[in-house]
Amino acid sequence: MIIAVSGKGGTGKTLLSSLLIKELSEKGKDVLAIDADPDSNLPEALGVEVIKTVGDVREELKIDTAQGNIPKEMNKWDILDYKIMEAVIETPKFDLLVMGRPEGSGCYCAVNNILRKIIETLSKNYDYIIIDTEAGLEHLSRRTTQNVDTMLVVTDKSKRGMITAQRIGELANELDINFKNIFLVVNRITPKNEDLILKKAKDTGIEIIGTIYEDVQVAEYDVEGIPLISLSNDSESVQTVSNIVSRILK
Amino acid sequence: MFEDIPVDVSPMYEGERIRAANMFVELAGPKSIGAELVQVEEDVEDGKIEVIGPDLNEMKEGEIYPFGLLIEIKGEKLEKELEGVIERRTHELCNYVKGFMHLNQRDQIWCRVSKEAVGAGFGFEHLGKAISILFKEEFPIIEAISIKVLTDQGEVEKFLDNASKQYEERDAKARELSDEDVDVFYGCVMCQSFAPTHTCVVTPDRTALCGAINWFDCRAAAKMDPDGPIFEIEKGEVLDDVKGEYVNVNTVMADKSQGTVDRVYLHSVFGYPHTSCGCFEAVAFYIPELDGIGIVDRDYKGETPLGIPFSAMAGQCSGGKQVEGFAGLSLEYMRSPKFLQADGGYERIIWLPKAIKDSLIDFIPVDLADKIPTEEDANSIKEIRKFLREHDHPVVERLKESKKSAAEEVETEEVVEETSAGSDFMVDEAPMAQVGYVPELTVPSSGGMKIIFKNAKIYAEKVIIKKK
Repeated sequence: MIIAVSGKGGTGKTLLSSLLIKELSEKGKDVLAIDADPDSNLPEALGVEVIKTVGDVREELKIDTAQGNIPKEMNKWDILDYKIMEAVIETPKFDLLVMGRPEGSGCYCAVNNILRKIIETLSKNYDYIIIDTEAGLEHLSRRTTQNVDTMLVVTDKSKRGMITAQRIGELANELDINFKNIFLVVNRITPKNEDLILKKAKDTGIEIIGTIYEDVQVAEYDVEGIPLISLSNDSESVQTVSNIVSRILK
Repeated sequence: MFEDIPVDVSPMYEGERIRAANMFVELAGPKSIGAELVQVEEDVEDGKIEVIGPDLNEMKEGEIYPFGLLIEIKGEKLEKELEGVIERRTHELCNYVKGFMHLNQRDQIWCRVSKEAVGAGFGFEHLGKAISILFKEEFPIIEAISIKVLTDQGEVEKFLDNASKQYEERDAKARELSDEDVDVFYGCVMCQSFAPTHTCVVTPDRTALCGAINWFDCRAAAKMDPDGPIFEIEKGEVLDDVKGEYVNVNTVMADKSQGTVDRVYLHSVFGYPHTSCGCFEAVAFYIPELDGIGIVDRDYKGETPLGIPFSAMAGQCSGGKQVEGFAGLSLEYMRSPKFLQADGGYERIIWLPKAIKDSLIDFIPVDLADKIPTEEDANSIKEIRKFLREHDHPVVERLKESKKSAAEEVETEEVVEETSAGSDFMVDEAPMAQVGYVPELTVPSSGGMKIIFKNAKIYAEKVIIKKK
């Protein structure tokens, strides 16, 4: 099952992604996390260090090809397969693949086509794939999330967050991308503004699956740079995400 | 068949990855050494499986070990040349074994064994047995097969040494592989999303225009992803082996371009050059004044001798268009002995950026290396002409000869017709009429005047060049 997390930048995609990964991997599931946001900090939120990204692999191959460094009889498919495996960061609980920097100039059709297939094959080895998408709508038009089963759209109380969420819902429709499920997660609300915000959230046209309250501990972890995945299991945010997971898996 | 092997063996386990969390041991890979090698031998004891070094039950969980896999085969019809082809199947066949992960090939392999497999009693002799059976099934010409699994550091090192020599020999042969040696070419339509009439024809001598995939890559891709954008083209009948024209290639071109393009020459910029996508690494362009060909690559930011930069030129001939006098190409193709062979190869090249000249210097004929100017030597047609004359470039001779023969022709021809763009447009196309399309063309003239055609389409029933 592939779960993607999208939304406007800064609304809490990484918080939700890392807690989804925490919840599912602690249930004993094989989880592959894919960080598809070139500007994200999912690795930090998960407390792992990135050595190589898919972008690095792509550039390495490009350079090796141009310089004629690849043995004539070896094919790039197998080489990429190996390099992608190298880029997978493996931990006892989950694995992480970071997409990294966008392409440089020149043609990447061939290499991207092969990469897509390789990542597809790799993904089949896991129970759950969690994709932290790039902010905005690009992932929809580039169809990098078209095989996603459940799309979770995150918004905070800001108008712009809500507008982006609404657009994601509309664009998916227009482009005929049929997620099995698409849900809205409202982040960083307080009991005081809850009613008002939830009312606005309903206007996005996306069904609300959960609300994460403003969490002092999350803010503290962010300031200190402590991985969000090490939030304790009785943290309110962790519990909320746990409930979201139960609803998705229902 | 696999009943005494404690794990499942089936194609359904292809693509199986073993996560670090589920792994018993890792073999070879980035943190250790390893290799695999198929050898055709005279003396092979069928079914023999030997493990040299610790077997799986003697290994420590979570550790990384060196790994060598020697597959010796014998058969009346087996030849040394087939070793590479057979060896490449190792990856696929090893992956049929559940709980055994195998990536890549040669001395770049990376394997893992799952905890589950080892728990079920799986050992290397089972791996050997499974792949012996699979290889014989896959290649009935294998009459006898024996397998050696090496996990002892010293043994693997020795094995790796020997294997590397064999790989080098094979690569040397592969570099010599040419269009004549194969029965299958490949077509690639990966770029059709923005160049709907473009099909890249990939042959041993001609890497795809983007430079990203060669004939070997296509062979792998067509197999890995049979419904994907890369497909086989049966080579079939050769129409012209110098220009590189093939009946089947023409048919595929017509089919994939919805009839827009129905003829291509693989090794020429004239007549029916290969179409160009948009992502080519370089463009070959005809310089009519000097009857030579210039090359410009994507990284060259200046203006070409035609007065326009790469980007403008690319715009003119990309998108799947067939434009005579222009051909998108990969830098790797410039390393091929067939590089524009119908046009004279490097003997016809009269300009190229210094960066690519330097990177290709080993592939440019030694006697020509100093005769081809770069942007450091000449930039305008006039400067290039001067340089070519001073360095005695073969094109100079060619120019003289064509002038001579043109003059002779004039002498024997009674009627002289001259047509040029604008003055005398041919409305009905003559049967042999060709359309010349050039983004920019300077016509040599005298009398203090210079005529430049921009984006000219020239129709001429006959063009005769007279000696002044």
